[in-house]
Parts: sequence; C-alpha cells; structure tokens
Amino acid sequence: MPGVEIKGALSMQIEIAGFPYLSAILITCVTGLLVILLLPEERKGEIKWVSAGFSGTTLLLCVYLFFAYDKTRGGLQFVEKVPWVPSLGIQYFNAVDGFSLPNLLLTGIVFFTGVLTMWQLQERVKEFFALYFLMVLGVFGLFVSMDLFFIFVWYDVSLFPMYLLIAVWGTTRKEYAAMKLTLYLFAGSALLLPGMIYLYVHSGLNTFDITALMQPGTFTTAQQKFAFPLFYVGFGILAGVWPFHTWSPVGHAAAPHSVSMVHAGVLMKIGAFGVLRVAIFLCPEGWQYWSGVMAFLAAFGIIYGALAGLRQTDLKYVIGYSSVSHMGIVGLGLSTVSVEGLNGAVFQMFAHGIMTALLFSAVGHIYDRTHTKEIGELGGLSRVMPVASFYFILAALAGMGIPGLACFWGELVVFIAAFKVYPVRTVVALLALVVSALFMLRVVQRTFYGPPNERYAQLSDVSFSSGIPRMILAGVLLLFGLYPALLFDVIETASIPFMNGLPR
Amino acid sequence: MIVPFGHVLMLAGMLFLLGVFCTLTRRNLVMIILGVEVMLNAAAIAFVGAALHWQSLEGQAFVLFIMAIAATEVSVGLALIVYAYRRSGSFDPSSCNLLR
Amino acid sequence: MIPFQAEDAIHMTVILATLTPLVAFLLIMLGTRARKNLSAGLSLGAIAISFGCSLLLLARLWNVREPLEYSTRWVALNRMEIPFGFLLDPVSLLMLSIVTLICLLVQVYSLGYMAGDPGFSRYYAFMSLFAWAMTSLVLSSSLLQLFIFWELVGLSSYLLIGFWYEKFSATQAGKKAFVMTRAGDVSFLLGLILVLVHVGNPAILEMNSLDSAGLMPSGILTFAALLIFGGIVGKSAQFPLMTWLPDAMEGPTPVSALLHSATMVAAGVYLFARLFPFFALSPTAMGIFLFIGTVSMILASTMAMVARDIKQVWAYSTISQLGFMIMGLAAGGYFAGVFHLTTHAGFKALLFLCSGVFIHTWHTNDIFELGKGGARRLKIPVIALVVAAGALAGLPPFSGFFSKEAILAALALSSHPVWLAAGLLGVFLTAYYAFRVLCILLFPPSAGEEPSGPVGGLAPAPKGSRQEGSSRTFIWPLIILAFLTLLLGFFQGPLQHFLLGEGKALLVDHGEQAGWLPFTALFLSLAGVGLAWAEFGRCGAARLSFVERIPFLRELFSRRWYLDHFYHFFVDRIVDRGFSKLFAQNDNRVIDGSIEAVSRGTLEAGRFLAFLQSGMIQYRLLVSFAVMVLLSLYFFYRDSGGF
Repeated sequence: MPGVEIKGALSMQIEIAGFPYLSAILITCVTGLLVILLLPEERKGEIKWVSAGFSGTTLLLCVYLFFAYDKTRGGLQFVEKVPWVPSLGIQYFNAVDGFSLPNLLLTGIVFFTGVLTMWQLQERVKEFFALYFLMVLGVFGLFVSMDLFFIFVWYDVSLFPMYLLIAVWGTTRKEYAAMKLTLYLFAGSALLLPGMIYLYVHSGLNTFDITALMQPGTFTTAQQKFAFPLFYVGFGILAGVWPFHTWSPVGHAAAPHSVSMVHAGVLMKIGAFGVLRVAIFLCPEGWQYWSGVMAFLAAFGIIYGALAGLRQTDLKYVIGYSSVSHMGIVGLGLSTVSVEGLNGAVFQMFAHGIMTALLFSAVGHIYDRTHTKEIGELGGLSRVMPVASFYFILAALAGMGIPGLACFWGELVVFIAAFKVYPVRTVVALLALVVSALFMLRVVQRTFYGPPNERYAQLSDVSFSSGIPRMILAGVLLLFGLYPALLFDVIETASIPFMNGLPR
Repeated sequence: MIVPFGHVLMLAGMLFLLGVFCTLTRRNLVMIILGVEVMLNAAAIAFVGAALHWQSLEGQAFVLFIMAIAATEVSVGLALIVYAYRRSGSFDPSSCNLLR
Repeated sequence: MIPFQAEDAIHMTVILATLTPLVAFLLIMLGTRARKNLSAGLSLGAIAISFGCSLLLLARLWNVREPLEYSTRWVALNRMEIPFGFLLDPVSLLMLSIVTLICLLVQVYSLGYMAGDPGFSRYYAFMSLFAWAMTSLVLSSSLLQLFIFWELVGLSSYLLIGFWYEKFSATQAGKKAFVMTRAGDVSFLLGLILVLVHVGNPAILEMNSLDSAGLMPSGILTFAALLIFGGIVGKSAQFPLMTWLPDAMEGPTPVSALLHSATMVAAGVYLFARLFPFFALSPTAMGIFLFIGTVSMILASTMAMVARDIKQVWAYSTISQLGFMIMGLAAGGYFAGVFHLTTHAGFKALLFLCSGVFIHTWHTNDIFELGKGGARRLKIPVIALVVAAGALAGLPPFSGFFSKEAILAALALSSHPVWLAAGLLGVFLTAYYAFRVLCILLFPPSAGEEPSGPVGGLAPAPKGSRQEGSSRTFIWPLIILAFLTLLLGFFQGPLQHFLLGEGKALLVDHGEQAGWLPFTALFLSLAGVGLAWAEFGRCGAARLSFVERIPFLRELFSRRWYLDHFYHFFVDRIVDRGFSKLFAQNDNRVIDGSIEAVSRGTLEAGRFLAFLQSGMIQYRLLVSFAVMVLLSLYFFYRDSGGF
C-alpha cells in the first residue's frame, strides 16, 4: 500500500521557520479579544482604544509580511507546522503564499479601518468589539491556514459572530437578515464538511495537509469532478455566486457599518479564496471540468447584479448588489484556468475589498449623521459634507472601473483572460460595465448632487480624525491603482508555479 | 406433563394480550402498571411452560428474575405515580407529558 | 522599476509636459482648495509649463522624421506586459500643442468667467486633471495606455459637465455623457482585447505596421477595427451615440469650449488618425466609418438648424464637423482629417468663448434674447465671432476654408460620388446654420434703433463695470484664437510637410483633379450664408427658417431625430423596467421565494413531527407494541419462507 510510505514521509514534526508572524497575528487577535472581555463595560473609550491598538498591530504585522515575503523565492513562506491531533492527521499548519498574502493585507486594512469607523458606537461597545475580534480572528486564521480541517474550523468561527453582530447592532430588518445570512452560510458549510471528509477518506493519506493532498494523482478525475462542486458551491455561497447571492444585499444592508465592511470586504473574499485554496488546489481536474459552468454563473452574476442594483433605493442595497457584480468578476477570473485569470481574480479580490470597505465606511459616516440610507431622502449632500461625499464618489468611481484606481486592473486583466477562453460570456459581462456606471452615477447624483437638503444643512463634515479610515482606504485604492505591479508581482509568485504544476 | 405446551403458550399469550390491552387503554397510571405486571406474569408463565417442555432449568431461573424485576418495577413505578399525583393531582397519563 | 526615469532631454521635456498638470491637480485637491488664487495660479502655471514644453518639442522635432518612442515597463504579467511610454511623432506633437494651447487660453479665460464661483478651486483642479489626462492620452505609446487615459478624460468630462452639481439638468447631462461614452468605451475595450489577444502588446507603432495584417485574419481585423471605432463614436459623439454632446453644454462655457468642442471630443478623431494605417488595412471598416461620419454630419447639421440655444448650435456643429473629419479620414485623406482637426480646434473654441462672453453678460443662452439684448455692441467678441463663423462656414481667408477643401478633395477621390455630394450638402448646411446664428445675433428685429438698455431685465444693470473688470482675461484669448483662425490656413503646406514627410504611401494625392471643386464648395457656402441672411438678416425678414415652416421637419430636427426618445425608451422601459425589474423581482420572488419555501417546509415538517411527540406514554407503548408485532410477523414469515 503506497499510503504507508507517504505516511512515513509526512512524519509530523514541529516545523517553524523564524519568528512565527502568522501565529502572532492570530495571537494578537485573541489577546485583544481577552483584553476587551476583561475591561469593564462602562469604559467605552478604553475599549475602543484597545481595539484600535490591537487591530493596528495586526495591520502592521500584515504590512510587514507583505513586504518581507521573498518574491524571488515564492512558494509557501513563514511556515509554522505543529501537530494537533496526530492520529487524525490534523496539523496546526500556517503559511502564506502569493494568493493569501494580498488577502491578508486586505484583512488587516479593513479590520483596522473598521474599528475606526465604529468609533461613534455607544451601545454595547464591549460585546461588539469582542465579537468583531472573534470574527476577524476566523478570517485571519482561514487565510493563513494550510490545513483543511483548520480551514473548516476558521470558516465557522468567522461566520457565527456575524449572526449576533447583525441581529443586535443591525438596522434594516435585522433579525430576518441575520437569520437568512446565517442559514445561507451554514448551508454552505454543510456542503463543505462532506466534501472535506470525502477527500480525506479517499486520499488514504490520513492527513488534512493541503500541500500533501494537492499532489497530482492523489485523487482520481472522477473524485475531483464530484468533490469540486461541493466546495465550489459551499464556498461560492459566501462569495455571492449567482444564484446563491440573495443573502448578500440583505445582509450588507442590515449589518452595522464596520461589519458590512468586513463582510463585503473580507468575508466574501473568504468564499472566493476558499474556492481557490480548497476547490481549485485540491481538485484541479474538477476545476477544468466545471470551469465552463463557473464562467457562465460568474458572467451572468456580473450583469445580473448590476441590473438588479439599478432598482434599489437603499444605499447599502445598491452596494450589496454591486458586490455581487464585482465578485462575479472574481469568479470569472477563477474560471479561466489561466495564470492571467488567477492574477486578475486575486487582484480583484483585494481591490474590491478595499473599494467596498470604503463605500460602506462612507455610507456609515453619512448614516451616522443623517440617520437614513434611503436614496430618496438624501440629496444635495455634496454641499453639506464635501469630504464625506468625495470618499463615496471616489469609491463609486473605482467601482465603475476608472483607471488609476485599483479595481480597474483586476477587471481589465480578468476580462482579457476571460475573453480568450469565453468570448461570448465575457462580452455579456462587459455590458455590465455600462450598467454599473449607470447605477453608480445614479446613486451619486441622487445622493450627493442636487440642491442642498435643508434637513441636513446644519450637519458637519468629516473632521480630520474621523476621516482617517477613509483616508487610508482611499490611499490604498490609489496606490494600487497607480502601481499595480506591487500586487501583481506577489500574486504571480503563486499563480505561475501553480498553473505550471497542473496536469494538462 | 398433563397440560400440552401449546395450551400453556395460549394462556400466556392471552394473558399478555390482556395486559397490553390494559396498558394501552386504561386512563389510569395504576392500571397501566397493573397491565405491565400482567404482561410480565404472562411471560413468566411462558417461561415455566418452556422449562418444563425442554426439561431445562434456565426457564425457572428467568422466572425468578422476572419476579424480582416485577417487584422492583412496581415499587419504583408506584413511587413515580405518587410523585406524579402530587404534582398534577391526577392519575391521568396525559397529564404527564412534560417531555414532549 | 521606477516608471519615470528620464533617458534624455527630450524625454525629460515630455515628462514635464504631461506630469505638471497632475501635480497641480493633486496639490489643489490636497492643499489649496480654500485659496482660490493660489489654485488658479498653480493650474495656470502647470499648463503654461506644459505648453512651453510642447512648443519646445515641436521645435526640436520639426525635422525629425522617425517617430520617437520612450517606454518603460509599468505592469508585467506572465504573458502580458503593460508598458508606459510616450510616442512622439508629428501627429501627436501637433495634437499636444493644440491641446496645451487651448487649455492655456481657456484657463486664462476662465479666470474671469468663473470668478466668484464657490467651486473655483475645484474647477481648476478638474481642469488640471483634464489637462493631464489629455496630454497623456495624446502621447500614449500603446493602445492600452491610451485607453486608460481615454477613460480618465471621460471622467474629467463627467466631473466638469456636472460641475454645477446643484442643477439637476447638469448632473443629468454629466451622467448621460459618461454612460453613453462608456457604451462606446466598452466596445473600444473589446476591440483592444481582440487586438491584444492576436497581436500581443498593442503598441501603436506595431499595430500600425503592416505586420498586424499578418497576425490577424482579415475578418477579425475588420471586427477589431469596428469595435475600436465604437469608442470613437462614443467619444466624438457620432451617430448613434451623439445626443450626449448637446446636453453636455450644461457645463460652464469654458468647459464646453475646451472639452466638448476643441480637444476631448476630438480625441476620437485623433485616435482615428493615430491608428489610421491600422484601420486602412480593412477597406470594409473604412467604408462603414465613412457612412457613420456622413450620417452624423448630416443629422447634426439639421439639428443645428433649428436650435435656439447658442451653445447647442455649436455643439451640433461640433458633432457635424467631427463627422466631417471622420469622413475625410475614412476616405483616405489622412492629412485632410488632421488638418481639419487642427483648424476646427481653433475656431470652435473661439466660437464657444465668444458665446461665453455673451452668456456671461446677459445670462441667457437663447440667441433671440441675446440678439435683442444687444449682443452686437460687444465689439471684439462680435468680430471674433464673425471670424470663427466664417471659418466654420468655410469662407476663404479663414482656416476652415482650407481644411474643408482638403477633405472635399479626399472625398472626391472616394469610391462613390454620393459621399462627395453629402459633403457638399454639409458645407451648405454648415454655412447656413452658422450665419443663421450670426444674423440673429447681429440683426435683431429692432435693428434700426439702438437698444437703449437691457431688455426684459435680462442684463444686469452694472453691465459696463462688470465687463471692464474681466475684460482682459476675456479678450486676449479671443484675439489670439481669432488670429490663429485667420492665419492657420496659410500654413497648410508646412503642416502637410511636417505630418506626412516626403511622399508617404498613406497620402492620397489630391493635386490637380477636380479644379471645379473649390469653386462649387465656395459657392455652396456663400449660398448658405445668403439664405441665412435672407431669412434672418435683411430688414423685414420673416425671421423664420425654411425648415421651421415645415412642422414635420421642425419637430424631427428639434427632437434630435427622436434619438433621445429611443434612448429614453431603451433605458427606462427595457433596462430599468425590463431587465432590472425582472431581476430584482426574480431575487425577491423566485430565489428568495424558494429559499423561504424551503425554510417554511422545514418548519412545517418539524411542527408535524413535534405533533407526533404528544408525550403520551400509552401512544408510545402502542407504537412499540405494533412494531414488535410487525417485526415478529416479519421474522416468522421470513423464516418460514413466506417472503
């Protein structure tokens, strides 16, 4: 039995190269969580400062990792491997590669700016930040983990605080939205578990280690074809793949601002990242087999999200639908089975994360002032708060794919890659660019332009300090829009070897 | 053995059915316990008959066990019934549906 | 890896020319929004540097025949490189000079025009943004880079049209402009991707070399050319995406002068000239371009004949002149098209700036009101307006005459005489509508007596003083542009030499043939002028044009051939209430409906199961007894072989 020798080769040893930065990120989150829990309820200001401090630390760690990653060497770096349950082959195995690094950076940025966005929160501050840290802990864990079992665990850890966060601090139809979202996402999780067990059993390797399971020949073509859809749908629900997207506008609209930021900015990326890391890594042949269907769903989702968003009257619903459309672009990139497609998809994950976070942050600021997010009730805000409007308009422009802002590159590269493989589907998706311009501009026009609304005449604009989160996000959007090579170079260290290693 | 084994089994079966009928239909907890006792005794009769038929002592031994179990069952059962009566004030089994 | 590292002095100059406006934009946005004069100064300084650099480049490279290309890697992907570079050849240098010159003049003019506006700094920031995007567009070395700046130019156009964002019509117009040009841009992007897939890196020089014919099958090449032309149609407001341009006149008048007549909309034609050799590889595509150019020209001219808003007349005229350029280029007249582009930029900007003076003084756009108000008393603007209108109509000493003749000569060589006929009709219509406006302005009905004061309270009382205060910034750009319009025509020879060099293969040789053509054209434009004078100018004229006497035509023309109705219908009914509603309903009803049906089903099933769990001991006993009986029956019969 060949499994025996491999089992010998996979001897579980503690393997840690240098300072464990990845664990440090997770530990920072946990420590932050504990400190928040230990602080008394009434000291709201201190809780916020502690949250900002710890999330800022994770951001710094992420930035450090992003630049410390050795691009010439590529591959998995910062590896930490500790056996957890040796009899089942479960390891605490953390590492980053070119796919997870952008997402890690994204999470760090959105996490920190999300804390700053919620600075005005007065109600149950302690619980909010504790759950928020827990959620982000799961996100970080998922992005750095290379062990299938841990990926599943982190996935669920990141999801369940969401229910409370929306149900307690949410706004529009919050109980309904929280329930819908949770059920949807756990339905996805229910597909993941059998898929995971199926692969675990059929590999015969007695390990959950992704690097071991992804070796060619571990699974037969038929097994891959069977398991791929399980993972694709399971993670795809979270990525807002059409037709499993209806949780996303409802959930985004109901969630408090920073949760919307993390949710649309990062959690949807978890879905796409899971498709990449688990479904595509483990079942590459299934990927090639199902890619046509993926492309169809993605292209249809792109145009569908844009058109459905055209009719929405709630600012957050609009953004939610635009997220569906933009995540379709990620899906389209993933479906091309090419280096460019993967590059574009990962870039788009990052860019979309920053862009939506900026949109939600700006909406959050506006909502805090005006207490409405109905487009019909707003209007003329540009006169009253020019700076706040500026951020929203900037993000909306990014969403339309204006060059100079990060989203443009993701879209461009994905469309180029997709056009080679699926010309018709790409043309359909490209039409969405017109529609998304129409609906973004419509929102901008109705919300910010027009005569100033006397109801909001006395509102103040952004002060410098409360504008910091949006400043950071806008800066990142511009930085990667003007100098996309910074990100593409990192992604390529993963995408090129991965595609070269594929059996054709 | 004067009485044929078949007759013994018939008697045991009829007793058992009577016990079942009593257990299922009577709206009184005490009568339900009684029905159970009757069923146990029916089983005991069947065991005794079988022991005679096959000339083996295990049947007799089982009957002893059954009698012991019946005694304990009655005592525990009656204690429960008393408790239930204290709580709900009746012997009606439909009042004891806390677990539903 | 640093994208901007100068290789030599010329490269340095180019970087300086393109980058200074960006720096100005960033500085204004970040720091000096509150300080108006500083903002304007920054922007003006930047564009002046840009203009100086472009003149320097023009002088340095006047005799250099080979195109210069500087290029650095911007983004490198696996099999795709996106370079960032500059391509300096005659057409880009010429365009650069036009753009920077007109930017500079318009910004000077805006000092007076926009004075006192609360968004003064923002205005100059956007102007700088536009200047950066436009100069970079002009100098782009690859099609992808060009596309990037193409989009940015569109963005600045959107921002500037909707500059007065409190006016609903302005924001509406901005949105319309952006979305319509976006539709063209998507087509452009598709064509770009098509080229990218087949040729690899779409550097403009590579595309223009004849190799691309070898790399792409001719069907695909035609298709790609048509798709790229879609971008031109959007940006240059050609048929069928033409209706955004008249609406775009909601922006401030200097913006209309700069973006929506002289430079930005001309970017489409510039792209055509830029990729001329590439397009010329596909005769089918060129035929279609010729058709679209002709249709746009005729349609827009007819619309201009009935418009009452002075800016709208010039907007229609812009569409029609751009169509005319495209006709010239598509007929093979490379120089003719570019030359008309050059002259048109001058006189059309002049037309707008003159109109701006009137609008600024009387606060109305209606030509009849302006005429009544006494527009003719503003001497210098009126003279400049006459010069510009003469150029537009193609009258001899002015620049428009020469470029128009060049295009007509190119058309005369085209395959079918119908194009020439259309071109001549266009000449007549153009002359007519240009002088219609002029006559209405100069000869108001009560021309006999001097209008004693502002009519109907239209003009503000301290007219004189207001005019004095800003006159210098108003007047100098007008004078410069008027001189340019007067003189540019005589530089046809040197320009032709500069653009084409000696005996390029591209050139359609329009030397001797058709000696009757200039005279016919001149006669037609004079006829147009005469008709306009007869209807509007002479004493006791009916002041009613011949089209307005036919209600059907008047309706058709003033409603823009019902194009807007079609778009309105399309967006409102098909997109908004069709697909969008369908999809939104689908989300609510079908997807959510089925999801909720599943959850309701689960709940109901749970309730049913819970009902079974009544908690009655006797039921349980009954069930277990029944099961026992059934089991025993089963085993009994199985063992006795019954089953």
